[in-house]
Amino acid sequence: MNTSFSDIRKRLILGVGNDVLMDDGIGPRIVNDLQRDLPSDHFTCYQTINLGGLEILEFIRNYDEVVIIDAIKTAGGTPGDVYILTPGDFKETCHLSSFHDVSFLTALKLGDKLQYKLPEIIVIIAVEIVEDLCFGEHFSPLVQQRFEDSYIEIKSFIESFVNRCTPLAELLNYTIEYGK
Amino acid sequence: MKRITIDPITRLEGHGKIEIFLKENGAVENVYFQVPELRGFEKFCEGRPVEELAQIVTKICGVCPGCHHMASGKAADAVYGADPPPTAKKLRELFYMAHFVHSHIANFYALAAPDFVVGPSAPKGERNILGVIGKVGVEVGTEVIKQRRLAQEIQALLGGHQTHVVMNIPGGVRKGLSEEEREGVEEKARGFIEFAKFSLKIFEDVVLDNKTYVDIILNGPYSLKIHSMGMVDDNNKVNFYDGKVRVVDVNGKEHCKYSPEQYTDFVAERVEPWSYLKFPYLKKIGWKGFVEGMDSGVYHATPLSRLNAADGMATPMAQKEYEKMYETLGGKPVHNTLAMHWARLVELLYASERCLELAVDPEITGRELRARLNKPSEGVGIVEAQRGTLTHHYWTDERGIVTKVNLIVGTTNNNAAICMSLKKAAEGVIKKGVKVDDGILNMVEMAFRAYDPCFSCATHSLPGEMPMILNFRDPDGNIIRSIKRD
Repeated sequence: MNTSFSDIRKRLILGVGNDVLMDDGIGPRIVNDLQRDLPSDHFTCYQTINLGGLEILEFIRNYDEVVIIDAIKTAGGTPGDVYILTPGDFKETCHLSSFHDVSFLTALKLGDKLQYKLPEIIVIIAVEIVEDLCFGEHFSPLVQQRFEDSYIEIKSFIESFVNRCTPLAELLNYTIEYGK
Repeated sequence: MKRITIDPITRLEGHGKIEIFLKENGAVENVYFQVPELRGFEKFCEGRPVEELAQIVTKICGVCPGCHHMASGKAADAVYGADPPPTAKKLRELFYMAHFVHSHIANFYALAAPDFVVGPSAPKGERNILGVIGKVGVEVGTEVIKQRRLAQEIQALLGGHQTHVVMNIPGGVRKGLSEEEREGVEEKARGFIEFAKFSLKIFEDVVLDNKTYVDIILNGPYSLKIHSMGMVDDNNKVNFYDGKVRVVDVNGKEHCKYSPEQYTDFVAERVEPWSYLKFPYLKKIGWKGFVEGMDSGVYHATPLSRLNAADGMATPMAQKEYEKMYETLGGKPVHNTLAMHWARLVELLYASERCLELAVDPEITGRELRARLNKPSEGVGIVEAQRGTLTHHYWTDERGIVTKVNLIVGTTNNNAAICMSLKKAAEGVIKKGVKVDDGILNMVEMAFRAYDPCFSCATHSLPGEMPMILNFRDPDGNIIRSIKRD
């Protein structure tokens, strides 16, 4: 399928996490590195935040495509492993789950109810972490050891659509049906 | 003894756990509230220039960054013996009022209203902000989001960023306010006042006009006779940014009033082996355990305690609502935990009115933004955070490099009170023969949700959508029955 340049949407690559809380800051670190390493284009925006819930809703509204990079802790997970999730098969990541106001999924439903212009596609990239309860500007040893692998995997995924005309929804073959 | 475990807690920042121990006859034996604490912050700060802390502390928590920024800024002023010029103080307070407006709106509509507007026993799937909007209308939901955003725009304007604030520097602020910017803030503040009044009207229509809800507030298992703490101005009126900390006892009589630098004379902290979080108490009374009454050292620092500890509100419309609240609830002080939601709305109106007062103050666009600094040493800064009195205490060397830090954060003040409120709620609703279902668990949770606790912990290691798990355990700790809420 041919895609014209006019089909290009506004894209947001959003790193969420606290960069002074050890592994919790892996999302912002990766997004900063992506911005440094990938060629810039006119339709991709890179941002980092340490927020969730209603705040994230304000960040992602009016974008057509959003990629969120966050930390995750799963039972028995291997530090550094990368998961690519959609709101449909959403698992709790560190900043998209329990927030002071509402969860990310509730925020999306709220945005839909309030008739916000919400992204046609949202991809959540989660990196398995170890330590997010201790202040520090460095990663834990296991996450640091695997950081390069994690980064290459994520960069490869992002490269597949950044600076190209192809809509992300077309590449991944799905869109979000809000209200369901 | 059997044990019920509720973990994790829904609609609460951080990852906490409520342990309810039952007697053999099904009655509640004891309740423990446990949270993992972020570690190493004091160490993290040591060796850094004290002026950096105001920016770093905004990263302690994504919920109350503005509070930490303000307390830190005031502590740094004290470290340098600097008294910011009037314009700088007013700009800080203006920022802070917007922070309160944004936070209190979120708390009421996303955390408190689901229990009342939708109902404490409503299905979990409906007991959220979507359920609230379903009841009060989409246009109200739009207004909630809009007013929050406008308040954040004021924070971003004055603070450089709505969350990672860079406003305060020792002795003042980085930038002033232009006349054009001031006009925009004034317009927003007028909108906040209308929205605060509207929110109080919703509370009146939905909660106060419902006999069942009023009965839950006044006669349910949600009351705790403990002392009340809050910051007051020279007239003993509520003040969030500056003043002295006043504590009134369970009968409303002044127990103490102290300046920030005196806090260690009046507040001490107890450590319990089963909790990561400390338990502050009134030093002159001493720690007498988790007990209520005049002789107990336990206090709370909440919207309700702030109103209890003050002689009134410093703005006219909030003062009227303050009087109405106490008249309805039988006079001061009020010890009904769920009245914290009402007090929070009175504070929302105060913050909105104060925002407007500051926006039209001729000094707000002044150009003198910073005081001269003196030799650095030690300093304490205190503000009222949305979740309680927030204390930052810094020590530095002669170059202003931090050598030691001590913080008493809002929720920590309420640690003992939260544990006690949970126990009373559990005792009130979990009884022999009563099926412990989701509604019952929510009524236990309502006891701590009123405090709007925030533990700023980002650990969530479970898959799925934050389930509420209820485990019945035998005396050896083995699970004999489990209920999971998805």
